[in-house]
Amino acid sequence: MARRACLGLTVILLFMIGTLPILSMLMKSVVVDGHLSLASYGGLLVSSHQWILMGHSMILSSLVTALTTAIGVPLGILLGKTDLPFRRFFRVLFVVPLLIPPYIIAVSWLDLLGSEGLLAQLLGTAVIRATAPMLFGLPGCVIVLFSVFLPIPMLLTMVFLRTINPRLEEAGRLVSGWRGVMQEITIPLILPGVLLSAMLVFLLSFGEFSVPNFLRYDVFPVESFTQFSAFYNFKAATAAAVPLAAITMVLLLVEGVFLRDRTYQLRPSPGLDGQALIGLGARRRGLLLLVAIIGLVVVFVPVVVLVIQSAGLTAYVEALSRAGDSLLRSLIYAVIGASLLTVLGFFTGYLIQTKAFRFWRSVDSMTIFLFALPSTVIGIGLITLWNTPWTNFIYSTPWIIIFGYLAKYTALTSRISVTQFAQIPPSMEEAAQIAGARWFRRMVFIVAPLARRGLLAGWLVGYIFSLRDTGITMLVYPAGHETLPIRIFTLMANGSPELIAALCMVMIAATLLPPGVLWMVSDMRKKAVIG
Amino acid sequence: MEALEATPLKKVIVSLAALGVLIGGLLTWHYTQAPNNTRIVVVYVSEDQVFSEPILRDFEKETGIEVTAVYDTEEAKSTGAMNRLIAEKDNPQADVYWANEPIRAEVLKQKGISAPYVSPLAQDIPPVFKDPDGYWTGFSARARVLVVNKGLTERPGSILAYTDPHWKGRSVIANPLFGTTTAEIAALFTIWGNDQASDFMAAIKANRVAISTSNGESADFVAAGQYDFSLVDSDDAVNRMRQGKPVTMVYPDQAENGIGSFIVPNAVVLIKGGPHPRAARSLIDYLLSRETERKLAFADCAQIPLHPGVRTPSELKPISAIKIMRVDYADVARKMVELQPFLKAWMGL
Repeated sequence: MARRACLGLTVILLFMIGTLPILSMLMKSVVVDGHLSLASYGGLLVSSHQWILMGHSMILSSLVTALTTAIGVPLGILLGKTDLPFRRFFRVLFVVPLLIPPYIIAVSWLDLLGSEGLLAQLLGTAVIRATAPMLFGLPGCVIVLFSVFLPIPMLLTMVFLRTINPRLEEAGRLVSGWRGVMQEITIPLILPGVLLSAMLVFLLSFGEFSVPNFLRYDVFPVESFTQFSAFYNFKAATAAAVPLAAITMVLLLVEGVFLRDRTYQLRPSPGLDGQALIGLGARRRGLLLLVAIIGLVVVFVPVVVLVIQSAGLTAYVEALSRAGDSLLRSLIYAVIGASLLTVLGFFTGYLIQTKAFRFWRSVDSMTIFLFALPSTVIGIGLITLWNTPWTNFIYSTPWIIIFGYLAKYTALTSRISVTQFAQIPPSMEEAAQIAGARWFRRMVFIVAPLARRGLLAGWLVGYIFSLRDTGITMLVYPAGHETLPIRIFTLMANGSPELIAALCMVMIAATLLPPGVLWMVSDMRKKAVIG
Repeated sequence: MEALEATPLKKVIVSLAALGVLIGGLLTWHYTQAPNNTRIVVVYVSEDQVFSEPILRDFEKETGIEVTAVYDTEEAKSTGAMNRLIAEKDNPQADVYWANEPIRAEVLKQKGISAPYVSPLAQDIPPVFKDPDGYWTGFSARARVLVVNKGLTERPGSILAYTDPHWKGRSVIANPLFGTTTAEIAALFTIWGNDQASDFMAAIKANRVAISTSNGESADFVAAGQYDFSLVDSDDAVNRMRQGKPVTMVYPDQAENGIGSFIVPNAVVLIKGGPHPRAARSLIDYLLSRETERKLAFADCAQIPLHPGVRTPSELKPISAIKIMRVDYADVARKMVELQPFLKAWMGL
């Protein structure tokens, strides 16, 4: 009874916070003067502009997906399967861009290659003419999104490599070298991971708003935002979001058919400890140099440019005096958002893993669908639903921002929970049940402690994504409650580059704070155990 | 045994949950009480935060009234705040709207979102910059000017230079779908009529004008020598001049029979049904004061005071020395909405 009530409440919450705003927005978009009308959608198919936008979105997402997969998968193999020197360092280094909001990477590249950028200052204005066209438009968007999403195929490749039973590869090694084993055994086994990462990168690039908007490349999320923000047209904004929703649905169907069962079984192989590494031999140095160059371009350069641009105490003093309150708010909202996301993700993940309701698959799809939808669409949906005198206690308070986080990012924490639950033998909970422990007690004393690593990972992911959110927050934040990313965006209009760079550095520090603390605590505990 | 171990943890969990609910409830109560507080004013701002925030902070210091603000982003093309006002029409959250041009203020009036308020501090602001019914009042303006590369021996003096074959392929203009460029084109339609203005737009396209994403980018292109001139806001030109870039500023069409320079004042609007009407009037009075205009003139935004006799920086002409384009901003606002399909088609969208 408690189980059904708790999981039922979870579903109701998800529906109220995530699905209802979207449905409400769709309803309003098809009602004109009290009558049903598809007028807002009329222009979708006939307007050549819509097809151009679709083409732009598809080209951008495809290029980013192809590039990240082509480089991320070999990188994952190099860092997860070979004896490449400094591979632990590189694993950490390459994850950094995923932790930094994408538009900050874009700001950094602008600081380097833009008309007022460091290169222009060093090499003269002639360089501007060569670099500026590279940065703005498609090439700039591809470069920035590639560097942000590169860790996804890299990490998933490494995770899937760990799920391979070493005995399979050992058997292969009896009749073939590593090249043959990789071709015939390892790569086919990690292929679902590669496909999953490609799908994730495609969806994230397809729904990305901040980078194409900043680098002036017209794609569907920007069109949806512009329809709302520049032309104050709710209905057109909703209509502009429909192709995004349709593509998302198609990819979810593909995932459902080919990948779903596989992604739930991400448990390290039992024989993992004995997993053999591929010896790179004479190619070690060359590959090390190659990986170092990629790290230099993708991670080191953007961060160093921001450090140089913001050099000097003055910029940081001004940044903190102008945005100290926003920083504090960001931290508070991100902590609250991450905590609620962890709880909601825990119960949603449990519901999905145990197939507690017949419609468990719909709940899973709903969270993924919301995650893949552009933030602007969710933001508009939240305004449409909650902006009434009766719901002011939500709309005019920071709760509306938290609702946005929950709507958008529950998929992340629920998927992490599902993966974690898959590693807990059902017999543990069953044994407690036989001993008379009620469901809630089993959750608190058996399942949650066993899933604590997943809960912690979920909290961190929830924190990072809540902290960096711009799309939803920008549309719904109540007066006086702007977060640091919003403050950065509003100060970009005529704010000095030094100030913006300093604010970006503060943002990076705030993002890395909890993972850094966690890493330090974990390191200290390890040393204590060894000692 | 299990019960003994479980009880303290259970208590902790229940206590934490209760504490969470309590804090959440208190925060919600605190925030929802704000509307009843007379020492708060909520303002939505389309003027750049870099320039508007110091003014609002000064108001807080001088009056003790707390200002909470929603600022527009460049990415929203300075219309996000107005959109929120439209979306919140039946449930207003804001008291005051600080628009960076009067067209939006007119749109709000036409949509029944603003309320009339005639500030005593705006008496000597010229009537052309005020709504006759008091629904908005202009202050601290930008002029639409030609930013011209200093290296040129011959300088354009009129916006008609855009159609002159002499300047073919050498001019740039910001995307006419957004911002003050849209407003100026709409203004031309109101004073020239549809036929003449359409011909002008066709002619500048035929003269191979380049399109930039913003006035700022246009000014940068001219400063870098990529184009010879561009129609931009005076603050964009002054900004580049102060940075020592090789550009100069020309007020267009200043001849006796010229149409004059299009003036874009800021506009302040009282929101109908806003939660703090008294504090809202105080803020409006403050924004319309001579002191605010002086501050905005000497800030990097270099805006032209509309009160007579307020000091201006050396780069700017006082408003009395500029031949201004005589337009009715209400007509311009209506024309802007009408023109959207035309401008989209002009842009090939």
